[in-house]
Amino acid sequence: MTKTIALFLAHALAVIAVLTTFGVLGLQREDQEAQERFTGVLEENVTLQILDNDTAKETGYLDELLNAFNEEYAQYGIKAVDANMGAYTDLEKLGPAGYGPDVVYQANDVLMRYALNKHIQPLPVEEMEAYSQIPKEAWDAYRMQMGEAEYTFAVPVNVQEPLLYYRKDLLPENWQEEWDDDKNGVPDMVENWADLYAFSAEIKASSNGTKFGYMKSLNDQYFAAGYFLSYGGYIFGKDETGAFDTENIGLSAGESYKGARIIRQLAAIMDNNCADDTITTSAYELLGNGTYFATMTTPDVYESFVENFASSWSRTHRDWTEEEVDAYVRENLVMTKVPALPLSGNLYDREGETMDMTVMGGINGYAISSYTKAPNAALAFLEFASRKEWIARRCELLGIVPARADVVEEEGGVAEDVYDDLLNGRIYIMPGERAMTQVWASLGSLLRFIAEDGLANGTAYDTDDKLIAAMKKLDEDIYSAIHTLS
Amino acid sequence: MKKSKSIKASRAVDAAITYVILIAVAVFFFFPCLWLILASFSDTGSLYTLKGFFPEAFSFRNYQNLFTDTQMYNYPEWFGNTLFVAVMSCLFGTLLTILTAYCMSRFKFRSRKALMKTTLVLGMFPSFMAMTAVFLLMTQFNFINNHWGLILIYSAQAPMGYMVQKGFFDTIPSSIDEAARLDGATNFQVFAKIILPLSKPILVYTALTSFTWPWSDFILPQLLLPTMDNWTVAVGLMYLDETEFARFAAGSIFIAVPIVILYFCLVKYMVNGMSAGAVKE
Repeated sequence: MTKTIALFLAHALAVIAVLTTFGVLGLQREDQEAQERFTGVLEENVTLQILDNDTAKETGYLDELLNAFNEEYAQYGIKAVDANMGAYTDLEKLGPAGYGPDVVYQANDVLMRYALNKHIQPLPVEEMEAYSQIPKEAWDAYRMQMGEAEYTFAVPVNVQEPLLYYRKDLLPENWQEEWDDDKNGVPDMVENWADLYAFSAEIKASSNGTKFGYMKSLNDQYFAAGYFLSYGGYIFGKDETGAFDTENIGLSAGESYKGARIIRQLAAIMDNNCADDTITTSAYELLGNGTYFATMTTPDVYESFVENFASSWSRTHRDWTEEEVDAYVRENLVMTKVPALPLSGNLYDREGETMDMTVMGGINGYAISSYTKAPNAALAFLEFASRKEWIARRCELLGIVPARADVVEEEGGVAEDVYDDLLNGRIYIMPGERAMTQVWASLGSLLRFIAEDGLANGTAYDTDDKLIAAMKKLDEDIYSAIHTLS
Repeated sequence: MKKSKSIKASRAVDAAITYVILIAVAVFFFFPCLWLILASFSDTGSLYTLKGFFPEAFSFRNYQNLFTDTQMYNYPEWFGNTLFVAVMSCLFGTLLTILTAYCMSRFKFRSRKALMKTTLVLGMFPSFMAMTAVFLLMTQFNFINNHWGLILIYSAQAPMGYMVQKGFFDTIPSSIDEAARLDGATNFQVFAKIILPLSKPILVYTALTSFTWPWSDFILPQLLLPTMDNWTVAVGLMYLDETEFARFAAGSIFIAVPIVILYFCLVKYMVNGMSAGAVKE
């Protein structure tokens, strides 16, 4: 009996050893092949599945792009089609099973997670036409050191950062006299947070809490992170190779407690919903119907705000034509840079010095799935989609801030401001580390507590010392969650 | 006289308390439905412009959009997919469940008890436990993004809950089968010509339960159907943009319509079936 078991085990181990050896050899070969797949020879008679975001589909941009690409590459039998999947389809799940898209459009944090697990492949970006037009800061978001070499995994398309959306038609009639101290023709309440705070407090008081000035869910980590980053906080430090060091957590660094204080103060001009996601979800409708004066969100949702504003305006102005409503809405819905923060970290300080806000941001771009059977055709699609004319068209239809310098130059306005923030380090590119999940969870809880305390005028976080202690505790909690508990 | 009065009073109090509790429970359960129905008719289409709990103005716009504005959210297509998966699963699931229950009820074979106990225990595990395994298996069978993959899973899992049907078949006297067999009937003839006509209530009950699971399931379609044109209503509704609440409400209400109609048409058979399955010969 013992002999039989020993024999069985020996055979089983031998089979496992052989399979493992072939498996490892196979994987190594795959890795090398991935780098050598861009031969420059287009695969013919193939269909590329392109996964883009919902706004690109809704506005018709994706159809236009696909039709133009298909026309140009018809001679090779290459056809690009909408992958027809949800915008957040998980390549990690579907790719290895052979059902994922060939080209993916996503934010840098998602794409770099894919890169880490080799679900997207490194690209020969230096050979692309767009390479010289896109700044290093944008490419950096997609670079990763693997072994000795550094690879780039995606082509930047647009820059994402929080912007202030406000209703110009809701400004007080006398704003030029009362709310433009520096007489620069820009209302003070959209130039600096202290004035926006004062204006919001005024609206809330005069409407008995039925209307509001600035509104945003304060527990939203992505948008709230900017308050901490502006006063010296950071998420992860970097090691000597320039990679994020998840052991070095610095949300409490510098004077980031001032950011926490601002969040607490902001709660007072909002309502009970400020500590959950309600405001973020309702902002489209309530900015549209004039309940909110301003909110903060990313530029890619501009069209959703326009749609809601127009729908609300048409209901109260039934005699207006669709064109009149659209013109009015686009004239009065303004998207601009976020206001400057008071250096003192006190929103009651309207006379003190201010500084530009540093915000959490990201770079959205196109990447090629490692599982595509037509890498050269997919690369041709990336080349095509990142051309100046198509980035400009995307900008026109979707309201994005382009990553290409030549398009930004032509666009001007807010695109130029965002671009300037990117070049001057005022956009903290969201890390793609898996550990961000733990950062978001702990930060979200603290933000909610601070907002609730501010709303109730409580005593849990009413002094700088308490806020400093809370921030230090936050760093410890995140560290424990990343390195001790998981 | 006094005693009878006090009994009457006590019964009245009993009835009053019972009614108050029942009304409270009914309101508790009915209110969310009512709220959803009214929200689906909201003119603004938003959750945030309700006056108190209910919309300020009503319209059919959300229902109209559900079937006309299909560029991003193709509700009619999702509805058709759901109907196809549910009907097919209902047909195959019912057939397999009835056959399993009949076998377990009528045929005595080795390991029958063990098999019954095993299926009973296996049926207690929630289906989502095997999600990863199911996904991997379906990739091997090339059943990802294919409605037949879903139908296969729903139909194959349906017989796990054969106990109620077995209980029903147990109530049909086996002397009827024996008499038929003496007259020369085969097993199939006994099943098809004698047992099935007597089993209408349990057939209806089985069909209805086999239909409702795929009709409202979210986990499996979400796992196995990646492209939007193959989605079912549950997956599609979950994907709606956060500003599309009224469309979500309208979609949720509309998906309930066929099943409510089916329920009211078949409820009398279903009640018979359930109670019949519980009674032993």
